[in-house]
Amino acid sequence: MSTPEPLLEVEQLRVEFETRAGIVHALNDVSFSIAKGETLGIVGESGSGKSVTAQAVMGLVDLPGRICGGDMRWRGRSLLGREGQRYGRSIRGKEVAMVFQDPMTSLNPLLTIGTQLCEVTERHLGLTRAQARGRAEELLAAVGISAPARRLGQHPHELSGGMRQRVMIAMAIACEPKLLIADEPTTALDVTIQAQILELIAELQQKLGLAVILITHDLGVVAGLCHRVAVMYAGRIVESADADALFTHPAHPYTQGLLRSTPSLDVVEERLASIEGTPPSLLDPPPGCPFRPRCPVAFHRCLEMPPMAPVIAGGEAACWWAMERALPENAFLGTAD
Amino acid sequence: MLQTYGTARAGTAPILKVEDLAVEYPLGKGFLWKPKRTFSALDGISFELARGETLGLVGESGSGKTTIGRAVLRRVAAARGRIIFDGKDITDLAGEKLRRIRARMQLVLQDPYASLNPRMRVLDIVAEPLLVHGVVRNLEEARPRVRELLRLVGLPADAHERHPHAFSGGQRQRIGIARALALKPELIVADEPVSALDVSVRAQVVNLLQDLQQQFGLSYLFIAHDLSVVRHISQRVAILYAGRVVELADREAIYTSPRHPYTEALLSAVPIANPSLQRARKRIVYKSEVPDLVNPPAGCRFHTRCPWASDRCRTEAPPLMEKAPKHFVACWHRD
Ligand SMILES: Nc1ncnc2c1ncn2[C@@H]1O[C@H](COP(=O)(O)OP(=O)(O)OP(=O)(O)O)[C@@H](O)[C@H]1O
Ligand SMILES: Nc1ncnc2c1ncn2[C@@H]1O[C@H](COP(=O)(O)OP(=O)(O)OP(=O)(O)O)[C@@H](O)[C@H]1O
Ligand code: SF4
Ligand SMILES: [Mg+2]
Ligand SMILES: [Mg+2]
Repeated sequence: MSTPEPLLEVEQLRVEFETRAGIVHALNDVSFSIAKGETLGIVGESGSGKSVTAQAVMGLVDLPGRICGGDMRWRGRSLLGREGQRYGRSIRGKEVAMVFQDPMTSLNPLLTIGTQLCEVTERHLGLTRAQARGRAEELLAAVGISAPARRLGQHPHELSGGMRQRVMIAMAIACEPKLLIADEPTTALDVTIQAQILELIAELQQKLGLAVILITHDLGVVAGLCHRVAVMYAGRIVESADADALFTHPAHPYTQGLLRSTPSLDVVEERLASIEGTPPSLLDPPPGCPFRPRCPVAFHRCLEMPPMAPVIAGGEAACWWAMERALPENAFLGTAD
Repeated sequence: MLQTYGTARAGTAPILKVEDLAVEYPLGKGFLWKPKRTFSALDGISFELARGETLGLVGESGSGKTTIGRAVLRRVAAARGRIIFDGKDITDLAGEKLRRIRARMQLVLQDPYASLNPRMRVLDIVAEPLLVHGVVRNLEEARPRVRELLRLVGLPADAHERHPHAFSGGQRQRIGIARALALKPELIVADEPVSALDVSVRAQVVNLLQDLQQQFGLSYLFIAHDLSVVRHISQRVAILYAGRVVELADREAIYTSPRHPYTEALLSAVPIANPSLQRARKRIVYKSEVPDLVNPPAGCRFHTRCPWASDRCRTEAPPLMEKAPKHFVACWHRD
């Protein structure tokens, strides 16, 4: 760990959901940390556990789900256990804030933008109504909304999708958080609007020294914004690396497949590379490496669960094949691929 | 307007030709003493689609992509213009004639979850068009054909007795494709067929669509907002903005030398999965006031955001002009 004093540390976190069909192992030994000013991208396909990870950090895992192992620490103090939960309530919404995919589900359609924004700062920062209105105007201007004073009196449905997402970001940064978690903040938006929102997040991060966890299934979104990337598959982080390293030398066969099957804007291939098969059921995961049933290079060792290991400079992956390739005696052979 | 919009293969008659199409949706009910207000969803749309060709339709949400698909399939009426399928004008076709034409054009939809009836078995779903169009008399007769279709789209042979919920998103999309293929159509309107799928599965379905096209000489109207997928699958691409085609050209021309200012902005906003390239890119930003289509701006619909806009742009709508061979651009200023 080269980064100084992590803000958030998640260690070997496990989350399960009890459903009628059985126990869904949504998160399995998920570990990561994030420091001040850093941007961590979490990518993975639908159901891989990205949102549950965010929910766990935000204390939003409710029955039938439960955290059944591991630890989460905010500035060195645990967020689990009775003491930790109290601590968690004091920092969430304030030091740690979140933006969701669909602003319509998190904005109250009946209240004006102003009322909803003021409520946050009145509650968490104890501002008076007049102070809160001033602050709300500042915040709307900060997220690039024109005529902020007029917008305060409008209802969510009077705004476009991109503007609503800006309002959500304004609410999230209202209390000057140290960590912003954005769960698919641009998935519902058009590309031109998406680019604006991502630029806004990058700008706020620089100005406020924010740490950002950006959750997305779009590798392109990650490439522009993140310093580090964690790739999730079937409730596990299977690779985690510096963004540049991950995109140029992906180590895990899943990451490699993901990058290869993403059509590019500048090269046209005859045929897209695809990863055959589908992700495993989290009810009854296969033994060993969860990617084994789809993995083109699986071998006998893969029946055992691979641990995370430093297989490339600036990154680690959980893969036996990548580990063997990274052994020092192979290094001098060079990689011709 | 007898200009043709450059089909990929000269010589063969196009499977589909759309001429100056306009579609209007009613706004609210309209009262006796008030004229009904309408909303101009599409205006002046013209393009051709050759046999075996894929034309990509790209544009932001609300630009009219789905409406073009619906108009072509005669699911929404044209306010103006013509739709010519295989040389026949089908704009005003009705009854049995329309039904017969419809069998030759099929739709594949975005959301495999919403577009399949959860109470039906895969067999019923795929066999339905065969029964409706009287190709088979009963389910038993349909069974071998359904089995063949499921094999074609790469679903397990035992799939036909199961219900949609027993399948993954990618598999459900395959069911939708099998159903669309049942009547051996010539044209498929694919409306965001892979948008709801994960990257790793998306590639499988895109490959399947390409294989089927090769095998059966299908023509695709491929609607998507993902510019990279469109680039991969299309031979030609049309860019829509606020109900109008602003640029239409071969895929290489669109992606490597876009000419319309909107196309440039759109392409520059697509994030690419390469950190150093992505950091080095310059995004072209225009004002983001999307025009109100109830009172569409006179002239070019992009003029409210366009840095090149002149008086002419504010009053006169630019038609698609051939600015380079087979490269059509609706802009008064850019060449
Ligand atoms: N309330 C719940 N009850 C049961 N299972 C749940 C619940 N919430 C999440 N899960 C399961 O946990 C797993 C991880 O879900 P999660 O929402 O984190 O996925 P995701 O990576 O965010 O996917 P997406 O890209 O679709 O948002 C999934 O298999 C999901 O079905
Ligand atoms: N049945 C309808 N009645 C009234 N207006 C409609 C109807 N269907 C679509 N519209 C409007 O027509 C315009 C074009 O819609 P369309 O669905 O064709 O857009 P699209 O390009 O497919 O968008 P998306 O990417 O969101 O699917 C939109 O502004 C939409 O609100
Ligand atoms: S551990 Fe084995 S199965 Fe898993 S990704 Fe690596 S090679 Fe493939
Ligand atoms: Mg999610
Ligand atoms: Mg649509």
